[in-house]
Amino acid sequence: MKNVVKHQSRIQLAFASFRRNRVAMLCFWALMVLYGMAIFAGFICPYSYQDENRDFSYCPPTKIEFYDQGHLSQPFIYKRSLTFNDIHRRVYVTDHAVRYPLRFFNNGRLFTVEAPGRLYIWGADARGRDIFSRIWYGARISLSIGILGVLISFILGLLIGGIAGYYGGWVDSVLMRLCEMFMMVPGFYLMLALRAAVPENFNSVQVYASVVIILALIGWASLARIIRGMTLSLRERDFVLAAKSLGVPDIVIIFKHILPQTISFSMATLMLTVSSYILAEAGLSVVGLGIQDPIPSWGNLLSDAMEIVPVIFAPWILLPGLFIFIAVMCFNVTGDALRDAFDPMFKE
Amino acid sequence: MKDLLIIDNLTVSVGTKLLVNRVSFEVGQGKIVAIAGGSGSGKTTIGLSILRLLPSALSIEQGSIIFEGRHLLGLSRREMQHYRGKHIGMVFQEPLSAFDPLFTIGQQMDEVLSVHTPLSGPQRYKKILEVLSEVELPDPLRAYRSYPHQLSGGMRQRAMVAQAIVAGPSLIIADEPTSSLDVTLQVKIMELFKRLRDKNMSILLIAHDLGMIAHLADEVIILHQGELVEKGEVGKIMSGPKHDYTKALIEAFQ
Repeated sequence: MKNVVKHQSRIQLAFASFRRNRVAMLCFWALMVLYGMAIFAGFICPYSYQDENRDFSYCPPTKIEFYDQGHLSQPFIYKRSLTFNDIHRRVYVTDHAVRYPLRFFNNGRLFTVEAPGRLYIWGADARGRDIFSRIWYGARISLSIGILGVLISFILGLLIGGIAGYYGGWVDSVLMRLCEMFMMVPGFYLMLALRAAVPENFNSVQVYASVVIILALIGWASLARIIRGMTLSLRERDFVLAAKSLGVPDIVIIFKHILPQTISFSMATLMLTVSSYILAEAGLSVVGLGIQDPIPSWGNLLSDAMEIVPVIFAPWILLPGLFIFIAVMCFNVTGDALRDAFDPMFKE
Repeated sequence: MKDLLIIDNLTVSVGTKLLVNRVSFEVGQGKIVAIAGGSGSGKTTIGLSILRLLPSALSIEQGSIIFEGRHLLGLSRREMQHYRGKHIGMVFQEPLSAFDPLFTIGQQMDEVLSVHTPLSGPQRYKKILEVLSEVELPDPLRAYRSYPHQLSGGMRQRAMVAQAIVAGPSLIIADEPTSSLDVTLQVKIMELFKRLRDKNMSILLIAHDLGMIAHLADEVIILHQGELVEKGEVGKIMSGPKHDYTKALIEAFQ
């Protein structure tokens, strides 16, 4: 066929508009980098998340030397050792006589340092564990927990909102009263209550799964209510009546003809909800109810920074907070941009 | 000849108001029966009653609807769903809003076939293209791949008819199928309906345009405020209307 105009679907148009938004693209790629780092944490990080060395408690960031007496050389670090000054504060003394060269692609890790040297590019925590490594291993937990929680919330919200709106009547009443029961309790307290219902002797995988489910349970109700409202108006549309008149089963009509119409709303809300779930997980972990040490998450890494004294002498333990901030902001900006991109009324 | 559809004493109400009051008529095999009347006369309500797709506020008070010897009002939800599309098809007034904008014509027709027939994917594809060319769409393949908004009004209405007949129903309910089209296209769609009738399909035509009814239908039923005022062969009614409302209706079109 010749002279056929290439039509773009609504979704293609929306993504084209999204791509023109530079700030949003920057945030989108920043998220991709964060996820990439999390996925390849085992390769990128010099240590595992539980590799500790108490001789390096709160060791400040290691300086990597690239020049040896003015000449470019193989990167190396100087030996550092812990001493205490006259008021019993930790002081790390650099010994310029002893060097440990950096090793690349050694033992399946991107970079390490020759033992017994310890490499802390973003400093160490109280037990001498590498903050850099723990942040990226923690990213695995923090960044995946939000997405999994949101997926479950969305499945619940779309399903329950769609069914309530489509069938109406007593089905609607029962489901909406259920939603209200969840919305009645403030989110954080609901989270604490649900956490209290989880047995204490769970292993780390069970804790992870229970946090995902707790997050999913606090968020689905508000989504279900909005989807129900949209479904109420969508079910009156002619194409829904037409599909019924052709004998298409109700469940197919809900999933194929009604819920996809809510995509512009859903996509944006999905992104915005991920950020609130990352924050919620952090909140739960900061108060010690989320992921348990030694498994790192950004929240429980930050719980080390709850006391003022370590923060004053080892400010690098606040770094996980910066990553929570970056991730949350990037999800919000991306979500807003997606909503604008899908909104036909929105003009750039 | 045996009647395909028998509507007997049908009464539909919303609250205490009667929308359709004790209407009875029959649609014979291979006939086009038109329901005519002004706005609010209950034409569309009768059409939707047959498929049992009335809005929840409306209820069928009494009467029976017998299609191919079965009482439709006594069927379960699942059985009724089986009749929709497979035995009774419906053509809507506004094809643009009656297609889901997110799917192509082909995908939406495919959905109907996959619900009602055991055909495999390639068989359905072949069948859909056949039906699309049967309704004389100039380029069936293009129509198959088009989204509803990409077709012109006339082509959309043909696609709508194609969707209604794709699963092989014996009765088509056409609710003002030409109202949104211009006059030349109306004629084309009417010819399409005639051809379907010649293939022994019955059509219940809901219309207010007496000119079209005179041209197309075999029998006509005149409704006025939910009551059947006159029914019979089109020629007889057009030439010798007995009821005052029918006379007024015919005069309005001359």
